[in-house]
Amino acid sequence: MKIKAKLKKGVVSVKAMAKHDMMTYNQAEKKTGNKDDANFITHISATCNGETVFDMSTSQFLSKNPIFKFKFKGEAFKKGDKLLMTWTDRKGNTENGKSKIK
Amino acid sequence: MQRRQFLNITLGALALAVVPASVKAEDFRTSKPAVWSAHKMDDAIKAMYGTTTTIEKGVKLSAANVAFDAGTMATAANGGAIPVDFSTKIEAKTIAVFQDSNPESAVCVYEVNKYSVNNYSIKIKMANPGTIKVIVEGTDGKLYSATQKLNVAKGGCEG
Repeated sequence: MKIKAKLKKGVVSVKAMAKHDMMTYNQAEKKTGNKDDANFITHISATCNGETVFDMSTSQFLSKNPIFKFKFKGEAFKKGDKLLMTWTDRKGNTENGKSKIK
Repeated sequence: MQRRQFLNITLGALALAVVPASVKAEDFRTSKPAVWSAHKMDDAIKAMYGTTTTIEKGVKLSAANVAFDAGTMATAANGGAIPVDFSTKIEAKTIAVFQDSNPESAVCVYEVNKYSVNNYSIKIKMANPGTIKVIVEGTDGKLYSATQKLNVAKGGCEG
């Protein structure tokens, strides 16, 4: 997972890319004949210093290797703090990524 | 029936996997499963918020880099990755994105927290031309929304 976080004027802007096929039910059925092979990120969250700063539940309709951009208030954080992101997919796999706020 | 059972088992496992990592966060896939299996936009919105009545203001939405302008139609060259940007100044509790061109309607639900600056950008896929709708649930309990009609030159769900 690639993450870029930048603190500017009290707001942290984050750009993150998750590597995931995001296979829909239809795509899975076409590929393997079984709808249940569909797999996509279902939940993604970000924390900084233990505080949740971003949290979303997602469906199969995000693009392949989806990109997320979001912002959060930066008063409580400083440059060099670590931003941790985690996603979970339908099959239960998880992946973590971290980045220092620049 | 089998698929339903499988889903329940997976969702249960997911909930277990997610909870320890983020105790406070709500996983809307577990708490509101009907939202994610609804085929029509209205059904999904109803499953999420209990009503489809929204106020069309306070939310900025643009898709495929075309600024939101009521009545105009944006065109996405590639349905596999349509950039969708939205923002709002409204004090929000949750923000949800729906579309009506894919087999199911819900795209994602954000849970807003005290650090959030509600300015987001995601990439979504759409199989056919359709409508994208962003709904902001305000802390005042009202629903605010913005919609954007979108033409898709090449469908994104063919794989």
